[in-house]
Amino acid sequence: MLKNLRSKLVLTPWLIWLGIMGLALLTGLAAGLLVFWKGLVITNLTDLVPWGLWITIDLSSIALGAGAFSLCAGVYLFGLKRYQPIARTATFVGLIGYTMATLALILDIGKPERFWHSMIYWNTHSLLWEVTMCVILYLTVLLFESMPILANLEWLRKRLPKIAALMERVHHYAPFLAILGLGLSSLHQSSLGATYGVIKARPFWFKPEMSVLFMFSAIVGGISLTLFVTMLSSRLTNKAKVNDVLIERVAHFVGYLLIGYFYFRAWDALATTYTYDPGRSEGLRFLTKGPFAFNFWIVEMLFGMILPMILLLYKPARTNHFWRMVALLLVAVGVVAFRWDTNITGQLVLMPYVSGAAITYTSYRPSLVEILTGTAIIAYGLTAFSLGVKYLRVVDHTLVETEYETVKVQAAEPVTI
Amino acid sequence: MTEQNINRRDFIKLTAVGLAVAAGTRAVTQTRASGDAPHGERQWAMVIDQSKCTGCNYCTLACQAHNDVNPDIQWNKVVEDGTVSGHQIYVPRPCMHCAKAPCVEVCPVKASYYREDGIVMMDYDRCIGCRYCQIACPYDARSFNWEAFTGDNPAVPEWGTPEVDRRPRGVPEKCSFCYQRVDRGLSLGLTPGVDADATPACVVACPTGARMFGDLNDPESSVSKALHENPSYRLRENLGTGPRVYYLPAIAEKMEA
Repeated sequence: MLKNLRSKLVLTPWLIWLGIMGLALLTGLAAGLLVFWKGLVITNLTDLVPWGLWITIDLSSIALGAGAFSLCAGVYLFGLKRYQPIARTATFVGLIGYTMATLALILDIGKPERFWHSMIYWNTHSLLWEVTMCVILYLTVLLFESMPILANLEWLRKRLPKIAALMERVHHYAPFLAILGLGLSSLHQSSLGATYGVIKARPFWFKPEMSVLFMFSAIVGGISLTLFVTMLSSRLTNKAKVNDVLIERVAHFVGYLLIGYFYFRAWDALATTYTYDPGRSEGLRFLTKGPFAFNFWIVEMLFGMILPMILLLYKPARTNHFWRMVALLLVAVGVVAFRWDTNITGQLVLMPYVSGAAITYTSYRPSLVEILTGTAIIAYGLTAFSLGVKYLRVVDHTLVETEYETVKVQAAEPVTI
Repeated sequence: MTEQNINRRDFIKLTAVGLAVAAGTRAVTQTRASGDAPHGERQWAMVIDQSKCTGCNYCTLACQAHNDVNPDIQWNKVVEDGTVSGHQIYVPRPCMHCAKAPCVEVCPVKASYYREDGIVMMDYDRCIGCRYCQIACPYDARSFNWEAFTGDNPAVPEWGTPEVDRRPRGVPEKCSFCYQRVDRGLSLGLTPGVDADATPACVVACPTGARMFGDLNDPESSVSKALHENPSYRLRENLGTGPRVYYLPAIAEKMEA
């Protein structure tokens, strides 16, 4: 396609990147169509493990999109205005994360053509209903919050300057949108944990702290991912202009957050042993000694919390770009591992309903179609973000929009960079 | 720009009032929320006598025929449950039709719901296939239609003829206490649990009479009497789901007889 458009094709790293992403997207699209055609029978999901890789991607992308609400709340509600450029990036990351989650869900549900039923038929008792409604509403908020970012599209500014100006003016309402975002996100980020936490049939999940763990991990992971992609794009392209002082300060803050997250996660795991509850202790053993031991001890605990905590709190490491990026990436990966471990372990430990029968175990390994479509969802996220960096000035700390305090704003002139 | 005159405080106030009104309206119109256990005139229940169950699986086959169930799926599953004085004991497990059913509470679209008579029903046309009910069910009573059930049902006609539509691909399905037989029987003036045509297929098919079905509100029904005269238990009773399927534990003397 590109060859037809350009007579002289120069293979720049950017084009190679787009090519790889395009390949992943096309394979995933094919796999996704296969899922819609053949049904979920071609996945490795079973009646014992009905929530697999896709749900983990859904949980993870919502978690990693949480930088948007936390940073917007910090900037617009708690008055940390100088971090506004980072909140801007986070908003875009959030928009991508939530659309990724929606894509994963559409693949996962058995009747994708009925997705709108949750908006019509309300079961206010259902955590999943609450999460669905909040995600839909919050996605709308994110769209509004992203309007000033999308208004940076060169084409839009030139062709439809009035619309671009209108979109930019949405920025006036940033504090209000931040309130909505904070409310909706606090609801659904924690309810996502409660979705598991209320399941009394599975003692490994059945505990009130699930909500808090999900909320906490989302804030830590979401901010970390935003900072990581910001730094990464500033290394890869001159389109991204960053103010390293801001990033370093937020990274320092993430270091402190990690102490709290580590304490809470470790306490939660250890407190599981206080009582013997059939199924709960077995789940913990799955994590600490069983097939998830590497994930739990190494990916979640050591690399996901302790190591980045040290790197981000120890000044020489934090001020070093490489180590700061390593730390931030590890935090995000650790949060994904937490979601995966929680989601899968709870299903692999099978509770007997016959009294006195022993606890049994099952296994789950995602099938190729699940992996290909999952990869495509991630590729979509990466592509969207890189396009945003290139064309929408998503990572541009020189673009400080202070106008939101003053009421009047001029219709933006087309800016040529 | 007049919108600018709304300050943050007013905005919060307006939002709060709006939310409160919306919530209040819902609360008033939704008094039959999913958390309430139903209290109709009749309350169907099933009693399974483990002393009599021989694990023959006739119940499962009759169920598969009458409800046109995919042979890969068992609404009623017969599970081994240890031995009593050398005899193998079984737990036949239909849907428990819980009074506080986790599946009903978690369903995001109210596709699972209570009937007034206590039957936990599935609206297969409303279900979006998210499988949260499967995650929540403590009894593994739900099976997902990973693919469409096409072709012949091997249980038909030997074990009965289908009385309900096949479920489409992409929704979970489960035992319905043969609501179609109960409803049709009642409309014909029959008594479920007494007249075979008004009684769940598994109860009718049981060759040893291990299964009973009837109205808990009727003290003369077989289930009421059986529960009055015998010790009984329910599965995972500690969860507080209030199953409507009761088991009479196997007793060695009864099994010798």
